[in-house]
Amino acid sequence: MKRYIIFGLIFTTAIIAGVVWRTSVQAQDMPMTEAHIARIRANCVEAQTRLGQLHASDALLRVNRGQLYESISTKLMAPLNSRISLNHLDDVNLVTIAASYEGQLAYFRQSYQQYEEAMSRTLKLNCINQPVVFYDSVADTRAKRKKVHESTVTLHETIGDYKKEFEVFAKQFTGGDQ
Amino acid sequence: MNEEQQLHNDHTLDSWSKHRFMVLVGMTILISLFLVSVALALYASSGAAQLDLSRPGYQSVRNQAGHSTSFDGFPATGVLDKKAIDEFRSLYDKQAEKATNVDSFSGNAMNEQTLSIDPPAEN
Repeated sequence: MKRYIIFGLIFTTAIIAGVVWRTSVQAQDMPMTEAHIARIRANCVEAQTRLGQLHASDALLRVNRGQLYESISTKLMAPLNSRISLNHLDDVNLVTIAASYEGQLAYFRQSYQQYEEAMSRTLKLNCINQPVVFYDSVADTRAKRKKVHESTVTLHETIGDYKKEFEVFAKQFTGGDQ
Repeated sequence: MNEEQQLHNDHTLDSWSKHRFMVLVGMTILISLFLVSVALALYASSGAAQLDLSRPGYQSVRNQAGHSTSFDGFPATGVLDKKAIDEFRSLYDKQAEKATNVDSFSGNAMNEQTLSIDPPAEN
């Protein structure tokens, strides 16, 4: 009897899981309505103009933020690590964080490049003739922009981590006399 | 080498000497095209294109780009004493503040609603 109850529970769970999965797949694959396509077609030229402005302002942001992020690595972290080493001192954590920051900086450059390429493709589309392609392209570009944002958040965290580790080093170095 | 072969060789040399200037020009153009293609491929793949604000479409923001020469950084050589530690702290805090005070690439600038391409509300 107990065996039948367990079997019944497993069977019911499997059916419910299958129904839930099928519903979610159907929701993702749901075709766009004519009204939605008409709305995209009506507003896409204005949307492309806005995206063009965003493209330009993001390029400026990439140049200015990029310079700042680079300068922290090349003009602050690397020289301090080098100076610590030249003075026969050792702080592995600072070197590790600096190396991690370099990797994150490379990821930031790469993710921005992918975002910019996606944005350029979106801006080149003839959105009146291809509203669905335009809509999908905007979604793809949005996802790539989100990745760039996430990479900047990671960089900010690492900048904070380096500062914390530097303070630990400074405390040890000066014997707590700051 | 017989006389017939000699005549054939002379004819070949003569033909080459007649067209060698055109061949030289053609080869120069081909090499130039190849080098330009390599340069453009590197420009696109290296990420330099994304930093190039001289491209069309960036006129409005071109003048707002910062100059990287304004910050000298921390010297990589010298004695590491309390003064140097304080100097580094001051420089790092300033630069870290600049880098982290803006939440870059965030917000809802690319939202469907902002771009007015979201699904219309059903009646």
